[in-house]
Amino acid sequence: MWIQPKELLLPMAFWVNEITSKYFVLQRRLGHDQSRGFSSLLVGTIDSVANRKPPPFRILHTPSAEIYYEIANAITHEEIVKDWEWLKSNLFRVLNEMETEEEITNFTICKIQSLYEYTTNSKGNEETIDSSNLKIAAAKFRQEFHMPEDENLVNYYSCSYVKNKIPRQGCLYISMNYVCFYSFMLGTETKLAIRFSEIVEIKKSSTWIYIRTTNNNNYSFGLFPLYVSEAHRLINQLNKMALDEMMQNPESPKVEHELSGFQNQTRLTSKKPGLLRDLKARLKSEDYKIFFRLPANEILDGKIKADLWTPYAKRFSSGNIFLSPNFLCFRSDVKGLVNLVIPLRIIRSAEKKDDGPSRFENQIIVSTSESTFLFSKISERDFLLEKISSLLANIHVPVRSEREKYDMSWSIQAALMNTFKIELTDQMIEKQNIKLKKWEDHFREYGRGITMFRTTAIINLVIEGIPDALRQELWMLLSGAIHEKETNPGLYEDLVEKSASKHTSTHDEIERDLHRSLPEHPAFQHADGIGALRRVLQAYALRNQAVGYCQAMNIVSSAFLIFCDEEDAFWLLASLCENLLPDYYNDKIVGAQIDQGVLNELISEHLPNLHAHLEELGVIKMISLSWFLSIFLSVIPYESALYIIDCFFYDGAKVIFIIALKILEWNEDKLLACRDDGEAMQVFNEYLNGIYNNEYQLLKKTEIVKQSQSVQTLLHEAYSRFGENISTQKIEELRNKHRRLTVHQFDADNENSIVKNFKDNIYFEPEELRLLLVAIREEKKNIKKNQKTLGESPIQLSPHPENDGRMREKIEAYKVDFDTFRVLFCELTPWSRCHSVDLSEKLFRLTDKKCTGSLDLNQFVRVLGIVCSDKEVEKLKLLYILHLPPLLSRTELENPVKPEKEKEGPEVAVEAEDFFSDDPSESIEALPSPTDHNFIEGSRLSTDQRNDAANDTSNYSLNSQNARTSTFYVDLPELSAKDRFESIDTFSDISDLGAKPVNFETISNLSQISDLNVMKLENQPSSTSSFDTKSLSSLRFIFDQSESQQQIPDMKRANFHALWKSLTEIVGASDAEMEKAYTDLITIGETYANSDKEESLDSFTQLGIPGSSDEADNNGNTTLSPTTEPSSSIASSCFAAIETHRTSDASVSQDKWQIHINQFIPTVIAVKSISDCFGKHVSLKESIEKMQKNRRKCVPMKY
Amino acid sequence: MASRKKSLLKVIILGDSSVGKTSLMNQYVNKRFSNQYKATIGADFLTKEVVVDDRVVTMQIWDTAGQERFQSLGVAFYRGADCCVLVFDVTAPNTFKNLDSWRDEFLIQASPRDPEHFPFVVLGNKVDLENRAVSQKRAQQWCQLKNDIPYFETSAKEGINVEYAFQTIAKNALAQEAEVELYNEFPDQIRLNADRNNRPRNADNCQC
Repeated sequence: MWIQPKELLLPMAFWVNEITSKYFVLQRRLGHDQSRGFSSLLVGTIDSVANRKPPPFRILHTPSAEIYYEIANAITHEEIVKDWEWLKSNLFRVLNEMETEEEITNFTICKIQSLYEYTTNSKGNEETIDSSNLKIAAAKFRQEFHMPEDENLVNYYSCSYVKNKIPRQGCLYISMNYVCFYSFMLGTETKLAIRFSEIVEIKKSSTWIYIRTTNNNNYSFGLFPLYVSEAHRLINQLNKMALDEMMQNPESPKVEHELSGFQNQTRLTSKKPGLLRDLKARLKSEDYKIFFRLPANEILDGKIKADLWTPYAKRFSSGNIFLSPNFLCFRSDVKGLVNLVIPLRIIRSAEKKDDGPSRFENQIIVSTSESTFLFSKISERDFLLEKISSLLANIHVPVRSEREKYDMSWSIQAALMNTFKIELTDQMIEKQNIKLKKWEDHFREYGRGITMFRTTAIINLVIEGIPDALRQELWMLLSGAIHEKETNPGLYEDLVEKSASKHTSTHDEIERDLHRSLPEHPAFQHADGIGALRRVLQAYALRNQAVGYCQAMNIVSSAFLIFCDEEDAFWLLASLCENLLPDYYNDKIVGAQIDQGVLNELISEHLPNLHAHLEELGVIKMISLSWFLSIFLSVIPYESALYIIDCFFYDGAKVIFIIALKILEWNEDKLLACRDDGEAMQVFNEYLNGIYNNEYQLLKKTEIVKQSQSVQTLLHEAYSRFGENISTQKIEELRNKHRRLTVHQFDADNENSIVKNFKDNIYFEPEELRLLLVAIREEKKNIKKNQKTLGESPIQLSPHPENDGRMREKIEAYKVDFDTFRVLFCELTPWSRCHSVDLSEKLFRLTDKKCTGSLDLNQFVRVLGIVCSDKEVEKLKLLYILHLPPLLSRTELENPVKPEKEKEGPEVAVEAEDFFSDDPSESIEALPSPTDHNFIEGSRLSTDQRNDAANDTSNYSLNSQNARTSTFYVDLPELSAKDRFESIDTFSDISDLGAKPVNFETISNLSQISDLNVMKLENQPSSTSSFDTKSLSSLRFIFDQSESQQQIPDMKRANFHALWKSLTEIVGASDAEMEKAYTDLITIGETYANSDKEESLDSFTQLGIPGSSDEADNNGNTTLSPTTEPSSSIASSCFAAIETHRTSDASVSQDKWQIHINQFIPTVIAVKSISDCFGKHVSLKESIEKMQKNRRKCVPMKY
Repeated sequence: MASRKKSLLKVIILGDSSVGKTSLMNQYVNKRFSNQYKATIGADFLTKEVVVDDRVVTMQIWDTAGQERFQSLGVAFYRGADCCVLVFDVTAPNTFKNLDSWRDEFLIQASPRDPEHFPFVVLGNKVDLENRAVSQKRAQQWCQLKNDIPYFETSAKEGINVEYAFQTIAKNALAQEAEVELYNEFPDQIRLNADRNNRPRNADNCQC
């Protein structure tokens, strides 16, 4: 990368020259290659501790011995070499022809400068905005933590992390999904990666951030005080986003975490890295929406200081103007003094006002159709006006689309209170009129409608109870539902008609509850009321399918319908479910459960004595659910609960909390006297039923209820006692905290109940099983992350789960797909040591009976259980089956899987920044790259001189290798090495090209094919012998039959060789006893071949791939030839044995050689090393814990 | 507390939405039927003094929400239950099918000491209606399979069998401790259960 040329004073410290020419030097920073000299370590440490990340390669221009200009730098060697080559071909000759040093320097600098400007311009703003430091840090972050390319780094902080009481200085990286720590101190590397979704608790002090994760691990990071709150806020925000994603029902459309919407925001003025700025903007935008109750898709554009003229007070109030695509809002600096919301669509004009007494104060006038608003002291007035006019130009004013024809069977029901009048006493009517008058006075003074000046004066009126006539207007206004309604005209009718046209199970649920909503009101004993309620609920179920219909929605909706027309009731419900009580009504009622946690914490804070007692009785969870979900409508008499709803629309969920606390406080003594939950419930029931409202009466009560308290007193007391302390902001903070706890509790609860359900399994202890479930859950997320890199979403082939049990649904979430299976198998079982045959693939195919591409938990537990158990016979039998055709087919025998490269354990103490000099292919290796296979395969085979038809065979095997790998990956051929190693930046592209996962579609196709073959086989009348067992499904059947070993088919020699190799690899090394067992078995097989020729019918493989036995023989030889791979040296001794054996018994036809499982198992089990290995129980707990540790340290997965 | 006789019984009523749980409870406690109940959100609660075997005990009846999404929230109420009443609507076959799931969920969440012999009672409600869809025989068969759960056909509206059913509930709840020992002497009961597990669908589970 060309840079702005700059002169250097100390060109040699920490750098070594790699290439030099007459006028240029290419240098590499110390500590960035494989060497581990002291100076390398030192520089590594200095760079790491000083949190400095210079690019490790650079080119200097040296016109003379003392003068150096840095002209280019790069992160990879390839990149710098490219620049070097350019210099070489374009400048070297030209410079040689020049005469003076000055001329040379000027020319070079000039040239480089233009190159630099050219590249930066062509790359656009995108690149320059991300400060180059962040970019380098991001590259390092991805490298150290093996993160995929699209794992974007948000920011990084110098940080210390205390581990085992030793503080380590390093760097805290915060990316979109992880918070990571990396330090490198004199040869000791510390790595830590925590996924946001596993964080349970986040706390901060002035210099520390504490994090607790789901496994109950605690981490604390010390930061510069300046950055603590920024980092803390970031972690909180990203954690919330991660949890939101977790809570999403996989079937419902995903909430886009797309940040692009924020990017136009004051882009050029900010110097912060892009992503960080976007996240901050997002956070501000959230606050903005919550504060002004704006629609969910509104994105804050910016804010500007200004004063607002408040005519009622005849003075200016200072505050901020907020601008977003559809709204102009104002918020006073003094909390609650005055707020204003003006939808842009009603703005007629916005212009400068440069006359009048304060003409020099940068005033503007915003006029709507009804009124005008005067703002002053706007420092960037022109900018603001420009912004407003550009937003106005883009505003989309929704129009009610002309509809062809309405379904005439229904019409919008007006507020039900008009039809179903309630007789009020004169006194009550009088009271209503007084209130009405107060409100009219208020409107006169502060304005009416959306653009009214919102001051604290409103709450004083609201708390008295809104008069019936104004409820619709004020509810819509205060809740913000009006904005949604006006931006979506006609949507309600559409939804009603669409939902009426199709019947769903949700409709049944709604139908059942229609008469159980507000039965005491006459409107809901009549078809009009019921019909309206049905339409509202059905329309909403269609609008928000993640929620559908939840009980309690019927109750609140019917209250809305009494005072509002049907369409407004619908929008109120939408605003309730989407903004005011987020996630309350979804399929797990998460929101309400989170708020139960919040309430619990508030109780412990404000009523500590009572809290301990209620906790003991376990009562808080019982009572609060109905309070939250129905906004007290289902527990307090309707006419009183209405007043609570009035306040609720003004103040949001806060009202529910303060009233709940007041109710508890009021009954504290009685509750403290309760001995069990039942008594406490009774206290609540009596009290809540007795809340009365003398100003308003629905019906004459048929039964006398003991009055406890008036709702007016309750509201006033609640506000005066708790209103100040419990702010909406505080509730939001507590919600964040409890969202973490609640969501993780869900997983824990689910897993515990699954464990209980599986308590009869014979393989694992409950604790082991629980850990396994956690591991499955975590690994699935890991894999999802990696698959995202490959640009492919996992293909869901599984049929929709039958709805016959909720337990089944829970278990369904722990289905294991092949990728997950492979990872877990390799991490957790001793059989992962076998690398010449891909046992995980075979085992998966064997177990996945229905070819769904995933194993259910039952199947998974069983296979894993067998492999980890101490049941040697069963394990050997399984291993035997795995090596039978069609699982181990002929093509595979010919081309054994490339063995894993031997790794020297976990990387210890590598150079701090060794990634710069690393061969990028190393990192690519983490991803499966089939081209690798081909490459090695090809070269290996070409060196094979024993084969006469070397060329033919190698071609053939290449093809078959392709065929095999294509089970999982489609090869894109001819990827030149140059392309592959171009740079780290194109990392993901390479993997995209190299390995495009096709996933299970192909697997299941493959197995279907083999099943088809089986069908053919079984249809053949000639199959009189027991050979039908050769098919895959028969193998599955055999596997399920634990008892008889008779049906298990005999094994051919080639398969047996593979089996033996696997066996040796699992055991680890071959000893004399094993070799003896091997020769014995070979002899047994031969005896069998000689004695019984009848039995040697066609094997499945030959049926499947018609071909002469000679060819099979040839290829068999190829496979069995002594391999040149170093890693297979373990097995080489026994292969030497094969060779000697073959030559001596060349006369025996390979076809006839067979061995039976009854011969195999006893022989093998007699060998001590094998029996020791297979008879050993593997502790799943240990291996899972080890795996989790590795994950935390980001030890790369290599399979 | 293994053999201590309780003077307080905690009874949980479970079952799908709108099978009549609230009505049954109110019919039993208040001797009254109303079609003006709201859907139960969270849980409702009533108590009644009953005389069982000449002893006066207080029966706490917990009525729960029936909608599926509330099922996992039941844990809070299940704690320390002495008897579980499973209710279905004889006119709605689905509510009968879901009994399995309600029972399993209860056993998992409540974790009674002896799940095999925890006292359940099944009520087939709304027998006063004409459009019956679940036969008495079918319901009885199911109950038999589950360790002979007592089964009653009730109508909360007409007050049919309600009193009797709840008497049995109280009795079984009280007798729980004694019954555990009794049941253990009947191996047949256990075999019934084992037979069920042997069905091919469950082969994965246990035949290994």
